[in-house]
Amino acid sequence: MVEVNGISVNWEEGLTVEKLLKQMNYTFPKIVVRVNGNIVDKKYWAEYYVTDQSVVQAHHLIAGG
Amino acid sequence: MDNIIEKMRASRRVLAEYSYKPALIEKGYSGQTLHINLSDNTIKPKTVTQQMKDIFIGGKGFGLWYLWNAVKADTKWNDPENEIVISSGPIGGITQYPGSGKSLVVTISPLTNSVMDSNVGGYFGPYLKFSGWDALEIQGKADKDVVVFIDGDKGKVTIEEITIDTAASHLVSKQLTELLAESEKDKKNISIVSSGCGGDHTRIGILNFSFYDLRRKAARLKQAGRGGIGTVFRDKKVAALAVKYSSLSGRSNNPADPEAITRAGVKITREINKFDDEQFRMRQIGTANLMTPMNDYDLLPVHNFKYGSHPDAVKISSEVMRSRFTQNMPDACWVGCALSCCKAVDDFELKTGPFKGEKVLVDGPEYENAAGLGSNCGIFDVDYILEANFYCDTYGIDTISTGTLIAFIMECYENGIINKENTGGLELNFGNADAAMELIHQMGQGRGFGKIAGLGVRRIKKIFAEDYGADPAFLQDIGMENKGLEYSQYQAKESLAQQGGFALANKGPQHDEAWLIFMDMINNQLPTFEKKAEALYYFPMFRTWFGLQGLCKLPWNDIIPEGNSQTDSPEKIPEHVQNYVDIFNAVTGKNIDKAEMIRQSERVYNFQRVFNLRLGFGIREHDAAPYRALGPVTEEEYESRAERYDRQLKEDVGIDPAGMSTAEKVKAMRKYREGRYKTLIDVVYERRGWTSNGVPKLESLQKLGIDFPEVIEVVKKNL
Repeated sequence: MVEVNGISVNWEEGLTVEKLLKQMNYTFPKIVVRVNGNIVDKKYWAEYYVTDQSVVQAHHLIAGG
Repeated sequence: MDNIIEKMRASRRVLAEYSYKPALIEKGYSGQTLHINLSDNTIKPKTVTQQMKDIFIGGKGFGLWYLWNAVKADTKWNDPENEIVISSGPIGGITQYPGSGKSLVVTISPLTNSVMDSNVGGYFGPYLKFSGWDALEIQGKADKDVVVFIDGDKGKVTIEEITIDTAASHLVSKQLTELLAESEKDKKNISIVSSGCGGDHTRIGILNFSFYDLRRKAARLKQAGRGGIGTVFRDKKVAALAVKYSSLSGRSNNPADPEAITRAGVKITREINKFDDEQFRMRQIGTANLMTPMNDYDLLPVHNFKYGSHPDAVKISSEVMRSRFTQNMPDACWVGCALSCCKAVDDFELKTGPFKGEKVLVDGPEYENAAGLGSNCGIFDVDYILEANFYCDTYGIDTISTGTLIAFIMECYENGIINKENTGGLELNFGNADAAMELIHQMGQGRGFGKIAGLGVRRIKKIFAEDYGADPAFLQDIGMENKGLEYSQYQAKESLAQQGGFALANKGPQHDEAWLIFMDMINNQLPTFEKKAEALYYFPMFRTWFGLQGLCKLPWNDIIPEGNSQTDSPEKIPEHVQNYVDIFNAVTGKNIDKAEMIRQSERVYNFQRVFNLRLGFGIREHDAAPYRALGPVTEEEYESRAERYDRQLKEDVGIDPAGMSTAEKVKAMRKYREGRYKTLIDVVYERRGWTSNGVPKLESLQKLGIDFPEVIEVVKKNL
C-alpha cells in the first residue's frame, strides 16, 4: 500500500508518480508532488518509481475562483 | 447612432453642478471623497481623515465606514439614507502590477437586508480617484432618472437629466461613451456605471462597470454582481454614473517609491509570460479554465448542487469555452494587467429576446456564469450559456444568483412543488434551455413568473410554502442561500472547511472570502477542526485585503512562481504575498509586514461583522447552512455516491451501513455532518476572537483598535 494525501491506495510493481496520479484521477494542471518528503519535479513523474509503503503528498495548488 | 447621440445631447439638463480643483494624488490617496445626495441634488466634498486611512485603508473599508455613518439600525435597502459607496483603494489604478484596477461597492442589500460588498473591474474606480475622489457616496433618491457625471479633466461634477431611450446596459454604456467622448481615442478615458431594467424588476440587480476596448471599438462590461446593488441603484433612479479622466500615466497614483512597484511588476509579468500557458491558462481561457477540473473532481454544481459532475459536462468544458472566444488575445479589464483573464465572444447572433437576430459582443463567459447558468441547471449547451450570459448582463441581473435560483426552481418543478400553471406555462425541468431563457427574459422585463423568480431564493421559498403548500423544511434543505444571498458555483459537500467558507462569509455565501476545497478535500491539509479553523481565520482575512486596496486576487494565486513548492506554505504563495506588502509600502510610504497586512483586514472584517449585528444580523443563526450545502438531502443524491457515503458511515461515523435502508443512511449521515458543522463553527468563532454566538468579543475589538464607542454599544447589546 501507499498513502496518497492520507488515503491508502494499492501499490503495484512499476508504479510511477505519473501512473499514481492517473489512478487517482488527479488531472489538475498544478500539482506539487512529494514522495516521502522529497519533491519530484513534474518532468520526472513518468520515470520516478513509487516504492511500497511510500507516503505521497500531491498538493493541488489552487486557492479558489 | 449619430441621431441617437444628438438627441441625447439636446436633452441634457443640468440639475446641479459642482466645480472643484482636482486634488493631487499623494501616495495613493486624493485625500477627498465625493458625497452626492439625489433627494436634494447636493454635491459635497469630504476630507479623508488619517483615522480612515489607518483603520479602514480604502475600498471596502471606506465603503463600510461611510455607510455606517449614513444609516441607522433600522435602515432598509430602499430607504433614502441607504448609500451606494464606490471606492478603489490606495493601490488601485497603478499600471505596473497586474490586477490593480478594482472597485469595491458597498450598500445595504435588498436580498440580505444587511451589508453587501461586491468587487468589480473596469476603469471607473481608478478614474474616479485620479479625478480627485477616493470614494463616491450616492445617497437619497432622485425624482426622475439622472446621470451623475464626474469630469476629472475639467474638475466638474454634474447631476443631469439625459434622455436615454434604452434600459439595456450594453447600449447605455455605449451611448453615454459616445456622448461624452470627443473622439474615438477619447473613449478609453471614459467609464460608465449602469444597471439595466433587471434592477427595476428584481432584487438581484447588478452594476455594469465599463472599460473601452480600442481593438474591438466597444464599451466592455464588468459586473459588481452580488447582492442586488443594481436594484438599489435603480431605486435611487440612477440611470448611470460617468467619469472622464484623460491623463492616465504610470505615475497617476503618485506612489512613494515607483521603482519598487516596477520591480515587483516586472518580476510577476515574467512569471506570467513563462508559466501561464502550462499552469492555469488565464490568458487563453480566463476563469472558465476551471470547468474541466471542477467536473473531474466532482465539484461542478449539477442539478441544483445535487451532484458534482455530469457526463455531458464535456460539452461545456474549458476547451469548448476556449474555442468560442474570439480574437484570441490577452484581454485585460485594467491597464497593465498581464494576467489578462477577460474573454469575449464577438458577433454572437442572439436567438431570443428583444435583440433577437442581432450580432452582439458577449463578455465572458467566466466560470461562475458557465457553471451557474449551465451545469447547475442541467443545461450543457454553450450557445445557451452565451445567450443567457449576454442577457443577464444587459438586463443587469446577477448570473450567479440567476443560475442558483433557476436551479432551485427546476428542482421544485421536478418535485411537483410547482407546475406549469404556477409558472405561466414554463416547463422548468432540468435541462430545458428554452424555458430557462424565457424565465431570464421575464425576470429582466418584470413579467409573469419572472416577477417571483427575481425575488431570490429566500423569498421564493416563502411564496412556495405559503401559496403552494410546499414543505418549508424541504425548501430550506434544497434552497441554496444563506443570509438571503444565493450560493456561488461550487459543490462543496465533501469539504467541511469550504462549507464554513461559504456560510460564515460576512455578506453571504460567495467564495471570495475563502476557497479551501482542494486544501481540505483533496490535499487533506486540514485534517483537524483546529487546522480548518486556522484556514478560516487566515484566508478570509488575507483575501479581505484585496478589497481594501483596489486589487484583484487572481494574480495572487492564478500564477505560481518558480520555487513556490519549496516554501513552508505553498498554498499561501508567500512570494506573491510579499509582493503585495512591498507594493503597499511602495505606494503609501508606510512600512507594514505580513502580520500587519492581516491585521488591516481583520479590523475591517470585524467591523463588517459588527455592522451586521447593528442591522439585526451577524449572529450564529445567520451562519447556518442549508443541508444541501453540507450533505445529501435526498435518497437519490445518496445513492449517486453510495460507495463514498457508505465508506464514510463505516470509517468516519462508526456505523455499519449493511442492512440499513437508504433513508436510514441519509438520516445517520445528516446527524454526523450537521454535528461536525456545529463543531466547526465553535472552533472558528474561538479562533476569530468571537463568542459562541458569533459576536466579536470586546477584548478582540480593543486589540484591533476598533473599539469606538458606537461599535462597543452595538456589541454590548448582543453579548
